[in-house]
Amino acid sequence: MKKASLKKATLFVGLLLVGLLVPLIIKSPYWLHVFVMAYFYGLLAATWSFLDGYAGQFSFGNIALVVIAGYTSGLLGTYTGLPLPLGMIAGVLAAGAVGLIIGYLCLRFRGAYLSLFTIAFAEAIRIILNTEHKFTRGPCGLRVEGLFGTSSQVPYYYLMFFILAVSLFMMYRVLKSRWGLFFKAIREDDEAASSMGVNIVRYKIIAFVVTSIFCGIGGVFYAHFSQMLTPNFGQIATMGLVIGMAIIGGVENLIAAMLGGIILEFGLEGLREFGAWRMVLFGGLLMLVVRFARNGLLAPVYKKVIGEEV
Amino acid sequence: MYNAEYFLMQGANGLVIGFLYALMALGLTLIFSVLKVINFAHGEFYMIGGYISYFLITVVGGVNPFLGIIFAMVVLLVIGSLFEVSFLRPMHLGSVERPAEYAILVTFGLSFFLQNLVLGLAGPFPHRTPSFMSGGIKIGYMTLSADRLIAAGLAIFLMVGLLLFMSKTWIGKAMRAVSQDKDAASVTGINPLWMNNIAFAIGASLAGAAGALIAPIFSFYPDVGVLPSLRAFIIVVLGGMGSVKGAIIGGIVIGLVESMGIALIPDMSRALAYRELYGLMIFALVLLFRPRGLFGEAQ
Repeated sequence: MKKASLKKATLFVGLLLVGLLVPLIIKSPYWLHVFVMAYFYGLLAATWSFLDGYAGQFSFGNIALVVIAGYTSGLLGTYTGLPLPLGMIAGVLAAGAVGLIIGYLCLRFRGAYLSLFTIAFAEAIRIILNTEHKFTRGPCGLRVEGLFGTSSQVPYYYLMFFILAVSLFMMYRVLKSRWGLFFKAIREDDEAASSMGVNIVRYKIIAFVVTSIFCGIGGVFYAHFSQMLTPNFGQIATMGLVIGMAIIGGVENLIAAMLGGIILEFGLEGLREFGAWRMVLFGGLLMLVVRFARNGLLAPVYKKVIGEEV
Repeated sequence: MYNAEYFLMQGANGLVIGFLYALMALGLTLIFSVLKVINFAHGEFYMIGGYISYFLITVVGGVNPFLGIIFAMVVLLVIGSLFEVSFLRPMHLGSVERPAEYAILVTFGLSFFLQNLVLGLAGPFPHRTPSFMSGGIKIGYMTLSADRLIAAGLAIFLMVGLLLFMSKTWIGKAMRAVSQDKDAASVTGINPLWMNNIAFAIGASLAGAAGALIAPIFSFYPDVGVLPSLRAFIIVVLGGMGSVKGAIIGGIVIGLVESMGIALIPDMSRALAYRELYGLMIFALVLLFRPRGLFGEAQ
């Protein structure tokens, strides 16, 4: 047990050090950009793992929440004189509020209502943003203010790295708390959890809102990093990438899911010249992993090296 | 601008399109009732149905459009059956943990895979198959095209065929038995694994038929199945998960609501875009007031 926590600490410190050193070694703005996007997908894969892998709730809504937070902050910046940090906070709160409403609607029941509703909801958001183009600039894209007065990628790199590390740490703490135990109980056997006095609806909604807030944080960052929002970023295919990353990494392990996001984003970027075929490969890999390696490809390695689950 | 004729026309249009929605939803609900699986690749089966009939009629050439539909149905029967054996059967053999999550993941993975496979093979450009027949029926100053009427007629034909198959044949009865109680059915000598396979294949084939029937009416492209599959989800939730009656009536209701809803918004491009949103509103209302749907059983 003690050995495992030592190994774990070594791993985390190692990842932190590598992350901090990257901009000193890699100077290419293109690859730094890829790093930032990889961390962004790593964060999203971790949020999906948090909800599905720990609390057992299957959502297609993470990207829609990212888009809602991003557009809230971007539109407030465009149409009101609200200072940028306040707009960003509003974006995160909007994602949390929408998460609460969706959670209340869908999580009072058992079954696949959450997946069915969120997949339809995500398309609805995309359609609204495309249709109200006079207000949102639609497919032409909404210009969003940058965060730093420089075109360098380095400050964005460190900010995203900081967001990723802090978000992961916070999610990890939540999962290690009483809430985490309740989530796990709901996932394993919700009837048993309910009969032991866990208010399962309440904790399912809490898990969904926590996820929504972290998606919102990611979304606000994405908006001001890419400085251009288009509704089609929120299409179901993007959500497919996030789910695939979490599953291929290992959905029952927050760290493995995050690493899956980072590594696969690099893989997809490296195979860019193959166009649609890299996505065929990704989809095929996802199906095979689900069928034959349910715990993902990285989570078993993590367990073997560290000696315990996350 | 809007008079009685306009609403009559929209009503006729909604009814016609509603039968096609119902056909799509019927496949989904059949799969759900027998396998207890929501097929997230249903829209891609629909999309492939359209591509197959296009390929046969336009690329190979000289093929009767009706043969195109039959061929699309046969190909999807095979695809559905193969997918069920290789990916869904393990679930029913009890060798899969958390089967509900597994089913969503593996069908969603198939959807992602097929969309990109077709994108790679056929490119992103929209296609449309030639008309079944030109002309149509005039209602006042507007016309209901022959293609739409033929598509709706064939959809009704297929739905009646399925209902007869389910109530008259041994296989149909056996599938219904499995949907009601798998264990009791297997005691009477029915192999539930085969019924699962047949139900999934028929469901996929109905989605393919819907795609091939719509192909001369709306153009299609690799992700054309996304909205129809979402609509089918909503119809199935509205009608009651697993209810055949619910899928048919729900399909017609959604078809009518969407086409009447167009009249509510004066701006035409907005009206067409927001047509897709009525379904989501109905979904939210069902969740709030009648979560088991119109004809679903209480949980």
